[in-house]
Amino acid sequence: MPRDVAVLDVYVPVLVLLFVGGAALTWMLDRVIARTGLYRVVWHPSLFRVGLLVCVCGVMGLAVYR
Amino acid sequence: MFTRTSRISKPQLSTALSSAIADWARSDGLTWIYMIKALAACFLALGIAMKLDLAQPRTAMITVFIVMQPQSGMVLAKSFYRICGTLVGLAATLVLVSLFSQEPEMFVASTGIWIGICTAGAAYSRNFKSYGFVLAGYTAALIGIPASQHPDGAVISAFTRVAEVVVGILSSGLVSALVFPRHTGDQLRIALQGRFTTFAGYAANALSSRVDRQQMEATNARFIAEIVGFESMRSAAIFETADSRMRGRRLARLNSEFMTLSTRFYALSQSMNRLRDAGTQEAHCAIERLQPYFLEIAPLLAKAAEQVKSPKDAMQLAIQLEVYEAQLPKRINETRTNLAASPRAGTLEYDTGGELLHRFVSDLYAYTATYASLISDTHQREQWVGSYEPKTNLLAAAVAGFRTTLLTILLGAFWIATAWPNGLTLTVAVATAAALISTSPNPMRTALQMTGGALLSSVTGTVVALGVYPHIDGFALMCAALTPFLLMGVWMTTRPTLAGCGVGYLIFFSFLAGPDNTMHYDPASFLDSVLALVLSMLVTTVAFAVLLPPSTPWLRNRLLSDLRRQVVTASRADMGRVRSHFESGARDLAFQFNALAPAEPELKRDALRWLLLVLEVGNAVIDLRKEVAALPTDAGQARSMPWRLPLATALATTLDALTALFDVPRADRFEGALSATVDAIVAVQQIVASFTPTGPEPHGLRGILCQLHFIRTALLDPQSPLEPFLNRRADALKGVSHAT
Repeated sequence: MPRDVAVLDVYVPVLVLLFVGGAALTWMLDRVIARTGLYRVVWHPSLFRVGLLVCVCGVMGLAVYR
Repeated sequence: MFTRTSRISKPQLSTALSSAIADWARSDGLTWIYMIKALAACFLALGIAMKLDLAQPRTAMITVFIVMQPQSGMVLAKSFYRICGTLVGLAATLVLVSLFSQEPEMFVASTGIWIGICTAGAAYSRNFKSYGFVLAGYTAALIGIPASQHPDGAVISAFTRVAEVVVGILSSGLVSALVFPRHTGDQLRIALQGRFTTFAGYAANALSSRVDRQQMEATNARFIAEIVGFESMRSAAIFETADSRMRGRRLARLNSEFMTLSTRFYALSQSMNRLRDAGTQEAHCAIERLQPYFLEIAPLLAKAAEQVKSPKDAMQLAIQLEVYEAQLPKRINETRTNLAASPRAGTLEYDTGGELLHRFVSDLYAYTATYASLISDTHQREQWVGSYEPKTNLLAAAVAGFRTTLLTILLGAFWIATAWPNGLTLTVAVATAAALISTSPNPMRTALQMTGGALLSSVTGTVVALGVYPHIDGFALMCAALTPFLLMGVWMTTRPTLAGCGVGYLIFFSFLAGPDNTMHYDPASFLDSVLALVLSMLVTTVAFAVLLPPSTPWLRNRLLSDLRRQVVTASRADMGRVRSHFESGARDLAFQFNALAPAEPELKRDALRWLLLVLEVGNAVIDLRKEVAALPTDAGQARSMPWRLPLATALATTLDALTALFDVPRADRFEGALSATVDAIVAVQQIVASFTPTGPEPHGLRGILCQLHFIRTALLDPQSPLEPFLNRRADALKGVSHAT
């Protein structure tokens, strides 16, 4: 996988694109989790959400570059 | 002294101490946590920006102080719009730079116009969207003007600046959401509970005894501020937790229902007061028959004020109210039948009172039921179509935009003409400050406060940049050195009276003394930029004071006439959302008016009286339209209803006359509205009378009659702002009777 891809003739790091996608995915996951009511048993929902974001983005990055 | 302390026993001391600590944690403790959070966010942003080797870490620092707010939801909401605004500003900047980088005059003019448009948009939308607009304009100034100096590196420098802004936004969002988060949702809950208690207590009091006009006005003024504040908290809370998001529409509905409820209650109590003042036999009779109902509801409300502390308690009340509301129309009707038997019975007065009472009870039930529905995550009351519609005066917004454009162009011209190296700083600072100030409720005051903050920061900034920086080394030491200076600024932002001062101080302090990756010790150019910043604030303040300040009577009167014109909205707007738009628009305008006249109680009182009249009449107009729409409309029946046409004409004439009156209040229009209303009452009464021999009249007619009667009494109220016309009319009538 190359480090940069050309988007409209601008070199953008692949990681940036992955993380934008990861943020969107986390947002969707967040909606789903909220519907199931899991957040009521979570101690610190915001921390959970940030952790989720880090995990999702990390997994996506590792999947591409490892 | 010593003997006194020794008398306090150990356990007493420890309980006193723990209660004192708990008290501190609830008040000053929160402020301290916020101050530490703001500093942590600032240093986090600085650290990241320096680690990434961005050109100007201070931009990230400034961004943190613009974005940071005590509640988590507020920061996230602001951040979202801020990033959008920044990206739009970036796009605009790149276009402007690519078009005009060879022509400084054209570039300054076009940037000024763009910033002006954004400022006008920010002043017009007056919500979280306004941050997006401010940022779109201010990013253009922040990146565009420096980038135009080096067109070859413009794209890179613009992107770097955007990266710095985004780092600032994200680190403040992260810190405020993760470290001791304070949720707007909790505040909403407290606000809701407090509002219920206040309203129920006030209503119970007003129903059982007469409340004087002054207290009524004060309570209503408080409700307005609460309603506007609630909406802004709600729009922030939905960015915060899933809990609030799932209840978002119910919370909006709750606010809208509260507006309806408070208007309705005001109408009810006003109409009772008018009956008491009238002193006629009919009025007396009607009061006598209605009083028992009030005495039933008052204890119910008094109990609710004491006991309802959460949505769960509201459930109980909602069940009671539902039963009561279902029986009420029948009971009112029974009393009416008894009443109609006696001569000089005043059925019209009684009907109007009864109708208002019934509507009040059913609105109270609706509000309580929605409040109770907050217990569950999903509820059918979430399906609701209305919305809160902030209203702003287009002209005032345009003036704000024009002022910013003029300022930017003027200082840009000064910069080009003098070729002062710091003219660039001057132009950027003026554009930023003008755009930020324009969105505050009272721009003149904010401008003055920010100038004070800028002056203060020019002193402390000089101390830090020239006295402290040369002696320190490393990131940790820098943070330690900055802490006392920043802490002072953050503390100022937490005091309502010093907020503008604090914001100005923090922004300009960061502008001046914000660290770079490689520090330059250059006192001459530093002092030059101090001069530029102080000058920019002075020019901005003068511009806000001189160039059509928003508090000029002319602009204030525009707001007032917009407020009156809400009656036009009530009588013309689409039926589906008319009530929520009308109620929220009118209150929003009154709120802005109040913010512009902080020290003039007479003006405020005038605006409040107009608001109350507009609410009374507008609501009656909406009810009237609803009643008409609910009349049977089958084609088969239409032929057998010859009364439809005269009814429609009479009502249309009344509505037209009313809108004309509220559009431009004049004596002849007042006369016209009054006579049209009286004519319509007579027309409807004739129609009703034509039914009596043949059978009961169609259901809605009596309701229409009540609303018309109510409008007439509202117009004739000697305490309404239409009173001058009323007096003139009374004089004229007296003159006629003397002449004959």
